[in-house]
Amino acid sequence: MISTKQRKTPVRLLQRVAAVIIVLAVYGCAPQPLYRRPLTPATAKPRSLPAPKPAPSSPPSSAASESPRRPLLEEANIREQDLKTQEKATPPITTSKETSLPPSVIPETFIPSTPPPLADDSSLLAKIAPGTPPQRAASLRLSEEGRMLLGSGDYAKALNRLERAIAIDSTNAYGHFLLAKAQYGLKRYKESLNFLEVAESRLRGEPFWLAEVYALRGENLRALGMADRAEDSYTKALSINSGNRTASEALSRMQSDGSATQR
Amino acid sequence: MKKSNLRIFSISLIVLLLITSSGILLGSWYLKNLEVTVKAKFDGQTWRFPSKIYSDSYLLYVGMHLRLEDILEKLRRLGYHETKTAPNGKGEYRYQRSSGLLDIYLHDFNYPTEPFKGIPVRIKLQGTAIDKVENGITGQEMFSLELEPELVTGLYENVWQERRLVVLADVPPLLIKAILAIEDERFDRHMGVDPVGLLRAIWVNLRAGAVVQGGSTLTQQLVKNFFLDSERTLSRKMKEAVMALIVERQYSKKEILENYLNEIYFGQKGSQGIHGIWEASQFYFSKPLSELSVGEIALTAGLIRGPNNYSPYRSVEAATRRRNVVLAKLRDDKIISRRQYDTALREALPHRDLVKVTNDAPFYVDFLRRELAENYSNDKLTAEGLRIFTSLDLQLQKIAERSLFDGLKRLEATYPALRRRGEEDSLEGAMIVIRPQTGEIKAMVGGRNYQKSQFNRVFQAKRQPGSIFKPFVYLAALMNEGSNGKKYTAVSKVDDSPFIWNYDGKEWKPGNYNDEFYGTVTFRRALEKSLNSATARIAQDVGIRRVRDLAHRLGIQSSLPAVPSLALGSAEVTPLEVAVAFSTLANNGVRTRPLTVKQVVDHNARVVEKRDVRVEKVVPAQTAYLINHLLKGVLDRGTAESARRAGFTRPAAGKTGTTNDYKDAWFVGYTPDLLAVVWVGFDNQSKLGLSGSQAALPIWTDFMKRATAGTPVTDFVPPPGVRFVEVDPLSGQLATLNCSSFVREAFAEGEEPTVTCALHLGEPLPNSRPE
Repeated sequence: MISTKQRKTPVRLLQRVAAVIIVLAVYGCAPQPLYRRPLTPATAKPRSLPAPKPAPSSPPSSAASESPRRPLLEEANIREQDLKTQEKATPPITTSKETSLPPSVIPETFIPSTPPPLADDSSLLAKIAPGTPPQRAASLRLSEEGRMLLGSGDYAKALNRLERAIAIDSTNAYGHFLLAKAQYGLKRYKESLNFLEVAESRLRGEPFWLAEVYALRGENLRALGMADRAEDSYTKALSINSGNRTASEALSRMQSDGSATQR
Repeated sequence: MKKSNLRIFSISLIVLLLITSSGILLGSWYLKNLEVTVKAKFDGQTWRFPSKIYSDSYLLYVGMHLRLEDILEKLRRLGYHETKTAPNGKGEYRYQRSSGLLDIYLHDFNYPTEPFKGIPVRIKLQGTAIDKVENGITGQEMFSLELEPELVTGLYENVWQERRLVVLADVPPLLIKAILAIEDERFDRHMGVDPVGLLRAIWVNLRAGAVVQGGSTLTQQLVKNFFLDSERTLSRKMKEAVMALIVERQYSKKEILENYLNEIYFGQKGSQGIHGIWEASQFYFSKPLSELSVGEIALTAGLIRGPNNYSPYRSVEAATRRRNVVLAKLRDDKIISRRQYDTALREALPHRDLVKVTNDAPFYVDFLRRELAENYSNDKLTAEGLRIFTSLDLQLQKIAERSLFDGLKRLEATYPALRRRGEEDSLEGAMIVIRPQTGEIKAMVGGRNYQKSQFNRVFQAKRQPGSIFKPFVYLAALMNEGSNGKKYTAVSKVDDSPFIWNYDGKEWKPGNYNDEFYGTVTFRRALEKSLNSATARIAQDVGIRRVRDLAHRLGIQSSLPAVPSLALGSAEVTPLEVAVAFSTLANNGVRTRPLTVKQVVDHNARVVEKRDVRVEKVVPAQTAYLINHLLKGVLDRGTAESARRAGFTRPAAGKTGTTNDYKDAWFVGYTPDLLAVVWVGFDNQSKLGLSGSQAALPIWTDFMKRATAGTPVTDFVPPPGVRFVEVDPLSGQLATLNCSSFVREAFAEGEEPTVTCALHLGEPLPNSRPE
C-alpha cells in the first residue's frame, strides 16, 4: 500500500517545479531595480541628507596603509556608548562632488566617483596557493563553505563551519568577517560589530575586504539605530571600493528616504 | 434437623458469606489498585531518559599532522573495530601500514545541525601528515572529514539506564518475528498468560532436568520489568500473571509489543544498563535497527534470554551458538528462507572490545552541570533525554589528567616533605586547557583524585596568582603612558632596586626573589626574570587602577583591590579566570567567553540551545603581539627556561607564578592554538615551598609536549603595525657590528629605536633597520 506521504511527493514536486518556473519567468521579465533593499530595515527615523563633505585627500588604499598608532587603553575597548563619542573625533570622511547637490536632485544610485571599483575578491578558495599552510588552507575552505551557507540563509550550519575555521586558524580574518555576517543575519548586531572589529585589524592590506567590513558595520549600526555612524561607515566603504554594492545601495536608500521626508 | 444444628448452619453460612464477600471486596480493591498502577505506568511517562554528554567532534583535514596511535585510539573509543579486509560495514576500519592507508566506514551520527549518513572514507598518510582524503564510494577528494563526538557520560538520577524509544513501524518486521518466535510464539493468541506455553515449558524442563525454557509471555516479562523484582516466588508469579491479564485487557497487542521492545533489558555497559532494542542495536553492532543483517537480528532476539551470558563482548563463541539456535528456529518456522539461513550462518561475529563509558572527565562534567543548571532543572537533565554537545576534547583531557597526576607524584618523590599526613593535607593540583581562538574549554582537571575530593580547584579555589599577574602590569604599561608621558617599549629602562611605595598613608616595600636586585634593566628583562621591584615601579608609574581595570577587561572577574601589592598578584583568583585572561592575549587581544556547552538538542532532535563563540576585542592586536613576544622570552631565556631544556621547543609564551609565602605555584603558557594553566598547592594553604617553575612548569611542559605532538608548529603572527629591529640587549639601541649579542625585538610602528648602540659604537647591523 502506498502511504499518503508517498502519494503526495510527486505531486508536490511537480507543484514546486511549476512554481519555480513561474517565479523565474516573472523575475526574468521584471525590470531590474536600481538598488536592492538593504538587508535590514532602518530602525532610525529617516533624516535629511548630511552636509556635503570634503573630497578625499588620499588615495583609497590610504585607509589600509594608514600608519597605525599604538592605541591607548581607552581606545582599545570600544563599546556601543563609546562609538558616538569616537565618531565626533573622526575626521570627516570623503564623498564626491555629486553629494553636494541638494537632496532633491541627488540621483538614486549614489556612488562616490573617486576610487575605481575593485575586482571581486570574495572567493576564498582563490586564496589557497600551493604554498599555503595546511591549517590556513583548511580554514579558508571551511570559511568558503560557511560563506556559501550564509548565501543560502543556513546560519546554523554556517556558524558551525565558521567557528571551526577560526578554531583552526585564528588569524583567518575572512572567517571573522563571515562570522560577523552570520551574527548580523541572526540580528545580533553587537556581536557582529565585535567580530568586525577583529576582522578589521587583520584586513588592512585588503581593500576589497576592508570595504566589506565597513559596509557591514554600516548595516549593523543602521540596524542599531545609529544612522549617522552607519552613513559614515558606508561612505568609508565606498571611499575604498566604489563598487561595494551594499554600501552604495544602503546610502542611496538612506538618501532617498531623506529626500522623501523633506518632500 | 435439630434447631441447634440449623443455627450452627445459619451462622456458618453467614460467616462464609461474609468472608466471601469480604474476599471479593478485597480482591476487587486489590485488582483495582493493580489496574491503577498498570494504567499509571502505561499512560504516564513510562521511562526516564538520561541526558547524554558528548565531546567535541574531531576534524581531520588534508595536510594535518597527527599521531597514528592517537587516531586509532580515538576510533576504538568511538566503537569502531578493526578488520583485516576493506571495511564494508559502518563502524569498521582497516589500517595498512605498508601503504599508509587508513580506511574507515564512518558511523551515522545525528549532529545538531544535520544528520550524517556514514560513508566509507580513505585517508592516505604521508609520514605523520594526511596527504589525501577520499570518499570511498565516489572516489571524490575531500578536504576534511569529521569524526563524530564521543559519548562522555549520561546524566543519571538513581538508575543508570540507557534507552531510546522506537515506534513499532521503525522496527524491522523480521526482528519482531524473531523475538516473538523465540520468546513468545503464541503472543497473538493468549490473553497475557499462556497455559499451553506454560505446560510446554514445564514438560521441556522436566525432560531436561533443568530450567531451559521459560513459560512467561512477553506481557508477563514486560510486567516483571516494569513493576516487579526478579525473585522467583509463587506470590510474585501470581501477581505477575494477574497484572499481565490486566495489561492485556486494557491495551492492544501493538501497544504491549512496543512497550516491550523499548523496555527489555539487553545487558550491561559498565555500570549502565542497556534497555530497549535501539540501544541494543547501537551497543552490540553500532548500527541503526534498519541496517541489521539477518544474523544480527537473530542474535539480538537471542540475547533477551540471557544478555550477559550470550553477549559477544563476553564470548563470541557463546553468542554465535545462541544466534544459530535462533536462526534454526526462524528457518524451521519458515520465517527466513534456507538461503537466508545459510548466508546468516556464514556471518562472522567480530570480536569487539567493550568501551565502557566511565566518565573520563568528571570535573569537566561537574562544571558543565553547574552551567546547565542555569537553564535546566535536574529533573529535565536526568529524564528528558537531552543531547548535550560540548567543547571537551577527551584526548587532551586524558593527557591533562595524566600529566597532573604524574607530575604531582614526581614532586612528592623529589621532595618527600610534600608527602603530608592525612587526607586533608595532600598535595593538590589543577589544570585547565583552553582553545584561545574560540574560548572552548578543551580539558579540565579540578584535582588529583575525583573519588577522594570533588572540589574543583579550577573554578572553586581562589588563590593568590603571584607573578603570573605581572604580565597585566607590563601590558598596561605598553598600552598607556607613564606619569611623565613616557611610553614603554621592550627596551625601556626600568630601575630594579629596593624602593618604598607610599599610598593612602601606608608604605609598601616589594622585595625580590632571594633579595637580589639587578639595578637598571630593560623592560623585557624585568618581565623575563620576574623582578618584583622593577614591576612595582612600572605599576606605580602606569597607575595601579589601570592595571586593575585591564585585568578585569581581560577576563578576571574576582574583585581586585587597587593596592600596590596587586601588581605582584596578591588578589585571589581562580585558575579559570587566569586561563580566560591569558587566552585574550593568545588570541591577539580578542577576549572570548569560556565555552563548555555548545549545543543542546532535545529528544526530537530540535536544537534547544546553541552557545556561539563570542568575541570582544579588548586589547589592540599590535599590543597583544608585543606582550606575547615578551612572554616568549620567559620560556626562551627567563624563569621558564627549563621547559626548553625539557624538550618543549615550540614557539610559546608563558609566565611562572609563585606567591610570596610559597603557598601557590603556577604556570600559564600558550602556543597560538592551545593554552594551559597549572596550579599546585595545598587546599589548607600550608606552605608548598616550591616556585612555579619547580612545581607547575614541569606539569605544563609534560602536558604541552604530549598535547601538541604531531600537530603543526605555529607561531604568533605579527599584525600590521609591528616592526622588528635588532637591538643590543643592554643598551636597548640599534645593534652595531661591535655588539657582542643582539635581540630581534618587536615594536609598535613608530616606537622603534632610531639611535645606534652607545655602548658598542660602530656600523649598524645590516638588518637592524626597522623592516
